[in-house]
Amino acid sequence: MAFWSKCIFGGMKVRIEELEALGFVKVTDGEGEIIHGYTCDLLSEVMGKAKSGTVWITVQSHVNIIAVSVIAGVRAIVLCDGRDYENETIEKAKNERIALFKTDLNSFEVSGKIYGLGVK
Amino acid sequence: MESANEIIKKIQPYFADLSVEQFMTSPVITVRDDQTILYAKELMRSWRISGLPVVDDEELLKGIISIEDIIHALESGSLTSPVSEKMSENVVFLSKYDKIMEVVKKFELHGFGRFPVIDDAHHVVGMVTKQDLMIALLKKLSILYVHDTRREDFVGIESFRSIPKNIKSEKVEFEFQIDYKEISLAGTGAAELKKFLLSKNFPSKFVKRIAIATYEAETNVIIHSNSTGRIKTYVEPDFVEVRVNDNGKGIENIELAMKEGYSTAPDYVREYGFGAGMGLSNIKKCADKMIILSSKGNGVLVEMHFWRHEGED
Repeated sequence: MAFWSKCIFGGMKVRIEELEALGFVKVTDGEGEIIHGYTCDLLSEVMGKAKSGTVWITVQSHVNIIAVSVIAGVRAIVLCDGRDYENETIEKAKNERIALFKTDLNSFEVSGKIYGLGVK
Repeated sequence: MESANEIIKKIQPYFADLSVEQFMTSPVITVRDDQTILYAKELMRSWRISGLPVVDDEELLKGIISIEDIIHALESGSLTSPVSEKMSENVVFLSKYDKIMEVVKKFELHGFGRFPVIDDAHHVVGMVTKQDLMIALLKKLSILYVHDTRREDFVGIESFRSIPKNIKSEKVEFEFQIDYKEISLAGTGAAELKKFLLSKNFPSKFVKRIAIATYEAETNVIIHSNSTGRIKTYVEPDFVEVRVNDNGKGIENIELAMKEGYSTAPDYVREYGFGAGMGLSNIKKCADKMIILSSKGNGVLVEMHFWRHEGED
């Protein structure tokens, strides 16, 4: 794929599988492409500021993060600091085709890695 | 656009119990019917008022004298005549027990600027001006916030101009009962609404604005109202109205509540990432118009209007 065709608004289009390649543990499969990233644990902030096609980096794991994702257009979530998703969250994510990842790294480190892919 | 009367009708439940004696000006300056017009004129000048109730020896209401009557007296050179000669005798008055809606109706019907208020024995006990009425409404609705951005990008487009007749349709297209208290379920209604609107082929950017605002309003019901609520949505081709109301404890201080970062959410909710104090300001950002109505103990009604902007296709 030509470089230009992958560029959108300054960010790169990234396939969800590419996140797995960064070493994050995949919990559920998702659908769609990642163009933007957003790091925050306050739901309203994410809601108000995350753009469609976002990978969301957070320490929140309860089921409401799926509702926020559906509404804000978040396509993938990376849960940091070695935390685990609640079962309900995983079930909901499957239904909504939102990709869930987890990692022992903290939000800063995860953001840096994803930023390195060209996601802005 | 909505007339004042329509707005008042809509918010009527919030002050239905308010009666005249609670907001009238009292005691009231009166003039006796046998005093001179000159004297009445002086009273009006020194108190800066434009009309006086006229009473007899026993403080019974006999008429009302206005600046207009005084001008007539000036023209006919009868300033030294008794007030009773120039006053209007057919006075429309209010009873101190009248409810505020009756007062609004009387102002509309008669077009007068002021009404004397009488008690059971027909004694003049007060006066109600349009300003008294307005202040009474504002006080009672100290908790009322209106935000309106219908200015820039879309005021020129046809669909905006045709809205006033469109939104008369009271057909609810989407309804959702917020009957759960589980914070983790917050946004269930908003997510449903998002799907519904997408199925109606509204553009995704437009739908996202509506969904975010609805999520915030829905979450507020769950965190703050300690009661149940309802989401109602009215749909037009280029316009969506969402009303979220609850039967809870209401907002105590709307100005504070509107402030970014201010929150009264309990700690357990904050641990989940809620209660950042961004809810209402998020709504403000997303909705083109929002009206919040609340008073202590009467729940909260958040009405949000969304017009399709140019470029939101």
